[in-house]
Amino acid sequence: MTLTDHVADGAVPSAPAAAHAVDLAKTYGTGAATVHALDGITVAFERGRFTAVMGPSGSGKSTLMHCMAGLDPPTSGRTFVGDQDISVLNDAGLTQLRRDRIGFVFQSFNLVPTLTARENITLPADLAGKKVDKAWCDYLVGELGIADRMSHRPSEMSGGQQQRVACARALINRPELIFADEPTGNLDSSASAEMLAFLQRSVKEFSQSIVMVTHDPRGAAFADRVVFLADGRVVGELQEPTADSVLEQMRRMGT
Amino acid sequence: MWRVTIKGMLAHKLRLVLTALAIVLGVTFISGTYVLTDTLNNTFTVLFGNVYQHVDFQVRGVAVFSSDAPGGGAVRKPVPESLLKTVQSVPGVAVAEGNVSGYAQYVTPQGTAVSTGGAPTLGVSFDPNDELSALRLVQGTAPTTPHDVVMDEGTASKYHFHVGERVRILLAGPPETFTITGIAQFGTANNLAGATLAAFTLPVAQHLFGDVGRLDAINVRAAPGANRATVERDIAAALPKGVEVVTGQTVVNEQASAVSKALSFFSVALLVFAFISLFVGAFTIFNTFTITVGQRTRELALLRIVGASRRQVFWAVLGEAAIVGLLASLIGLGLGVLAAIGLEALLSGFGITLPTGPVVFELRTVLVAMLVGVGVTLVAAVSPARRAVRIAPVAALADHETSQGVSLRRRFVLGSLFAIVGVAVLAIGLTKPAIQLVGVGAVFVFVGVAQLAPAVARPMASVLGRPLARLLGASGKLGRENSMRSPRRTAQTASALMIGLALISAVSVFGASLSKSATASIDDAISADLIITATSAGAGGFSNSVPQVASAVPGVGAFSTVFSGEFEFQRSLVSVTGISPASVNRTLILRMSTGSPGALATGGILIDTTTANSDHLAVGDVVPVKFAETGASTMRIGGIYEANALLGSFLVGDAFFLTHYQVPLPIAVLLRTNGSPVVEQRVKAALHGYPNLKIQTRAQFEQSQRAQVNQLLGLIYALLALAVLIALIGIVNTLMLSVFERTREIGLLRAVGMKRRQVRVMIRTESVILAVFGAVIGIVVGTCLGVALSWSLRQQGITDVVVPIRSLVIFLFLSGLLGLGAASWPARRAAKLDVLTAIATE
Repeated sequence: MTLTDHVADGAVPSAPAAAHAVDLAKTYGTGAATVHALDGITVAFERGRFTAVMGPSGSGKSTLMHCMAGLDPPTSGRTFVGDQDISVLNDAGLTQLRRDRIGFVFQSFNLVPTLTARENITLPADLAGKKVDKAWCDYLVGELGIADRMSHRPSEMSGGQQQRVACARALINRPELIFADEPTGNLDSSASAEMLAFLQRSVKEFSQSIVMVTHDPRGAAFADRVVFLADGRVVGELQEPTADSVLEQMRRMGT
Repeated sequence: MWRVTIKGMLAHKLRLVLTALAIVLGVTFISGTYVLTDTLNNTFTVLFGNVYQHVDFQVRGVAVFSSDAPGGGAVRKPVPESLLKTVQSVPGVAVAEGNVSGYAQYVTPQGTAVSTGGAPTLGVSFDPNDELSALRLVQGTAPTTPHDVVMDEGTASKYHFHVGERVRILLAGPPETFTITGIAQFGTANNLAGATLAAFTLPVAQHLFGDVGRLDAINVRAAPGANRATVERDIAAALPKGVEVVTGQTVVNEQASAVSKALSFFSVALLVFAFISLFVGAFTIFNTFTITVGQRTRELALLRIVGASRRQVFWAVLGEAAIVGLLASLIGLGLGVLAAIGLEALLSGFGITLPTGPVVFELRTVLVAMLVGVGVTLVAAVSPARRAVRIAPVAALADHETSQGVSLRRRFVLGSLFAIVGVAVLAIGLTKPAIQLVGVGAVFVFVGVAQLAPAVARPMASVLGRPLARLLGASGKLGRENSMRSPRRTAQTASALMIGLALISAVSVFGASLSKSATASIDDAISADLIITATSAGAGGFSNSVPQVASAVPGVGAFSTVFSGEFEFQRSLVSVTGISPASVNRTLILRMSTGSPGALATGGILIDTTTANSDHLAVGDVVPVKFAETGASTMRIGGIYEANALLGSFLVGDAFFLTHYQVPLPIAVLLRTNGSPVVEQRVKAALHGYPNLKIQTRAQFEQSQRAQVNQLLGLIYALLALAVLIALIGIVNTLMLSVFERTREIGLLRAVGMKRRQVRVMIRTESVILAVFGAVIGIVVGTCLGVALSWSLRQQGITDVVVPIRSLVIFLFLSGLLGLGAASWPARRAAKLDVLTAIATE
């Protein structure tokens, strides 16, 4: 596993990816203040795999995720979830996409403070007007070890517990793909490890596709593949990473 | 999604309560007004039904014309007494009794006149037939001799009169003393809505009221078993032209509808203020929702991320408004019923004893209250809900809150448009004049100004806050900056107060102009030194003997007796003033533009310039007129005088007047004296026996006219105070939300050494600036409105437009104080924040 073996810049696998982007660019501001957050990225995230996106602050990792999840419209280029070109979707289409096919986990948990843990978890299903799959919900809650926290409000739970609730919420509608934006950024090391182990297990056990933005090499080591970004471009990639190989790679890129 | 809305509301109960309060107050006002007037209406209908229970038919003069004035009914000519025999002889008539009514006012044992506060002081004939009589004796016996009177129980219990006592009564002729033989109720009530009743035998009543040989009406009871339709037809056949027979039910319906007409005038006036309160409430709701949507940006964006559609977000915000509106309307409805009961008690406290009846709670009350309450809340929340819809999902992840909302430029265009349309509609409404258009125009102007206000909010807050910042140091400076940092919020919060102050200022300008004009019209119209009028408006005048008594006093040079009545002039019902032509030049100032006052002596009519212009009339024109007593005829216009509110638009001579009205009561006597106070004292002494008279110098008369205007203003201010209260609740709410929003910032300030007291000063400064800002705009807008209103009524007698600077400055000062008061709770709350938790707050 050397860097040169796996630099797959621009390579789109023949098997349909869970999500991919073609020539994706995003600029903020105008004139002298223009920032090229994404500078023509082409990248694919395979189905049933756990992909980590790494890079220094300002490398465009979060922007990439927002654009690929349809949260932020790209300046140019196209983004796909499965075969669906999401750059052509209007707001209603994007809402439908988020409801049915994508799950999110964020750094700052982002739970609705007035709802209990259970209500937060079933919120996406409630919003979509779907019947909550009770067996699935109980299974997730059991796996995440938060069964006894279901009637608590977010303010009555620890950070780790809140993030596990957010995880269950992301999975409740069985999305094709989960985007996790620094999910362990606000957690201590043991809570981080548990969270990452759970994400890893969900990939192995029920072939969940996950894309995770992180800047923690140990976190990235839980992934099947690491994509490195810098200055809005893909600058490297690692398969089956370990914490050491990630660190090594980062050192080489001078970050 | 509903769960999110409801849980969110429960988590912010205080915000919920403060938002709902504005609607609760408005809806209370609406439902209270409806319940009160419905209850009174029903009570009177039931009462009249009781009173006329056994009256099958009534024979009376055909209505010559009917008055639209509140409480005014049809004007009829009496029927000859001989008709009674005719009716009694109709087959199937069991009983027929005639009755008359007129002016009779009691004098208390202390020598003061019993006054009713507007209700009539009635004298009636006592009908010996129990079944046909409106009066039911509860004590004593019916009157039999010319010196007997039966008193209503309301007067008897209020002034502690008893059967067997003697009581002086003021009449159309000289006052007389009677013995109370009995005390009676009107139907089941102690009196008729505050009116006093004195019942005499029929001949005495006819004599006292100048109705000898005549009857106002004949009440008929059909024989048991008689065919009513036949009896009615037979009576009708026996009647001469100009006399009609109607069923008792018709009389009940007429009386009840006269009451309901009067009540609807009253309820419309109250409802106007209820809607003003709700309009102001709509602004505070709009503001609260705008702020909370702003504060919930992250939460709403998060909902979008986890799959909420735009529609769901829109309905989440609107749903919250619907629930607030629904709860507030329900509470308001309940409070309205209580308020109605309270108001009824208040009225009887003023001596207006109302017949008791069950509280009437109509479906219409519920529907209007709910529709208006929920509707206003929803309309106010639509714009914030649309703002919520525009929140991008990515806003949940951004560190800074993206500023949403209409651009200032678009706002400016929109606001200007509203204001221009408003001014145009207002102008049309004022020139027409159409009061509804004035209202719509004012609403548009207010909305427009509220849209434009953010443009001036920052500079004005800066200017207003400068002295405070200088006075209060660092915390004052911070308060000033807080009020400047979100001009939109500052302006929206201040808008509600702006409306309240605008209305108050407009009323104040109008009142001052009215007051000044009234005074000026007195100086312009009256040259007499002493003016005699009745203390109680309900009496409709005073004894005919007063002019003789007063004019006989040594030192009185000239005198004029003034009468007032209604007649039809060119087919519209108007008031006419009758005055003696002989001394008119010495007691009145008539500025003739053409013709001469001499026409009064020869049966001509004088009209004012306004009528002459609008009807295109000139001296010498002959116009059709109609009097209740004498029917239709024509009159020649003898002169045109310059319009004066006090004189009215039509003048005729007293001789003419007396031949066209049945025993009219003088409404005023004007005396020209040598100006000496001694004469005034002598006049007062001579009229000692008439305690119902006010004898005033011209200056005193002016003073009392001003006092009347001020009394009316006081009432309007009190009603508008509710709108101001709602605006203040809006300020409290905004400040609370701001404190909540700036928890972290306040914690930081405390951490770097700000004292609690300084935190309080900071919040209070902001509040005072908010309030004064709203007041300044309101006073400016209101003054313009008031000037426009007064100016547009220049033809109706508002000859002087006055801007009461002193009152307006007081309003400004009071607004600042109220702002200070509104801040007390939010300021205390901010000062109580724990430093560490405040900083840790996200």
